[in-house]
Amino acid sequence: MIKILDWLKQLWESFSHEFDFVFIQGGRYQQMLTGILNTLKITAGALLIGVLIGIIVAAIRSSYDKSRVRRGFGFTILKVLNAICKIYLTVIRGTPVVVQLMIFYFLVFVSARDGVPVAIFAFGINSGAYVAEIFRGGIMAVDNGQFEAGRSLGFNYVQTMIHIIIPQMFKAVLPTLCNEFIALLKETSVAGYVGVMDLTKAGNSIAGRTYSYFLPLLTVAAIYLVVVMILTWLVGILERRLRKSDH
Amino acid sequence: MTTNDILIKVENLKKNFDSIEVLKGINSEIKKGEVVVIIGASGSGKSTFLRCLNRLEESTDGHIYFNGTDITDPKTDINLHRQKRGMVFQQFNLFPHMTILKNMTIAPIKLLGLSKADAEKKAMELLEKVGLADRANSYPSQLSGGQKQRVAIVRALCMNPEVMLFDEPTSALDPEMVGEVLTVMKELAQSGMTMAVVTHEMGFAREVADRILFIDEGIIMEEGTPEEVFTNPKSPRLRDFLSKVL
Repeated sequence: MIKILDWLKQLWESFSHEFDFVFIQGGRYQQMLTGILNTLKITAGALLIGVLIGIIVAAIRSSYDKSRVRRGFGFTILKVLNAICKIYLTVIRGTPVVVQLMIFYFLVFVSARDGVPVAIFAFGINSGAYVAEIFRGGIMAVDNGQFEAGRSLGFNYVQTMIHIIIPQMFKAVLPTLCNEFIALLKETSVAGYVGVMDLTKAGNSIAGRTYSYFLPLLTVAAIYLVVVMILTWLVGILERRLRKSDH
Repeated sequence: MTTNDILIKVENLKKNFDSIEVLKGINSEIKKGEVVVIIGASGSGKSTFLRCLNRLEESTDGHIYFNGTDITDPKTDINLHRQKRGMVFQQFNLFPHMTILKNMTIAPIKLLGLSKADAEKKAMELLEKVGLADRANSYPSQLSGGQKQRVAIVRALCMNPEVMLFDEPTSALDPEMVGEVLTVMKELAQSGMTMAVVTHEMGFAREVADRILFIDEGIIMEEGTPEEVFTNPKSPRLRDFLSKVL
């Protein structure tokens, strides 16, 4: 018994020594904090842009698919917009996000000094493509009678979308959307490619500096895990609240 | 009656779905306060005709005048016009994510600019009339079919429509719930509301209609008072139809 306690004590001492060396000395924990903050910033920003792009693209694509009047000036505009959306989806979903990120950083925003806004933009554009298809599926799944009921009350197309279709669509796609957000959070781990100090890069950099890989990498993994668990928990609460209307 | 009393005038209305001619030239008028019941076999075009009146179906040819304004004209603000026409669907189409009260008040608040308090007061009065005031804060999924359809009717009434269009309002209901919906419709007719009703409820047609249109093969094959249509049908198609449904 005493032996086990001794062993645990030793283990704790070596751990706290290692922890002190890796994170505390030289204020290296600050790098970690910057990393967490940047990862969260990029994820949140990209999420916002992604959802915005997603709604617009999904609205255009589903109106094109559903449109029953397939002639005239309005339809021609819709056709052009739909074609643009399709090109966007094909290109973004057909190339790796890290390549897109580097293209934005090294070719498009050449004069950018801070990589974080560029990363937010690049990941937002990327996520938008996936979110758009999730939303489109959701919109197509809402019964057409809902749309007709909205229009028959006098709502125009956009009002019907905002007040009637999108709230129902959102409820239906929430689990899938949560999946996309989790994927996005983890995808931001390649932000280091354009010199952004994100969580992964911070861990890697500390590991390189201290020649100690064990603690930094496991800490990074644990932090991602905790953030994903918190996100899942929050979405769960939201889902339950939205489910209030079906009994 | 003077021409001023004509609320809806339909001229040579045609509708094609791709190459299928559903409506082949409908001419009709609906006067203010009139209850017109549209009957016909399924696939005859009666629902399409009703939906054209609200431009939920775009007509291929012909004109529909509402208070003298041609609503088939692309320049007409159809959204403004739809506000004046209540529509009740076979599948109720209540908004499942909103309470009954919200279902009824969202359009008056957003479109007519009513305050929340005013809209809710009006909605509650109407709910009271159809005996559903206690369900104001329920969600549609908690209601029976008949209750849903009664809510759908008063939701449309919240917009103060000049005419109510009913597209087979009782066809999706269990038989024991048909009566409660028809009662609300009867009361509405008695209050002087202009109504166009597509239905298979011949009893309702006979009792409430001022005029009956029998649509067959995309045209109005025969029309007249319930008396004329039911007791003395002229065309063989109508006689055949009535022998099947009565």
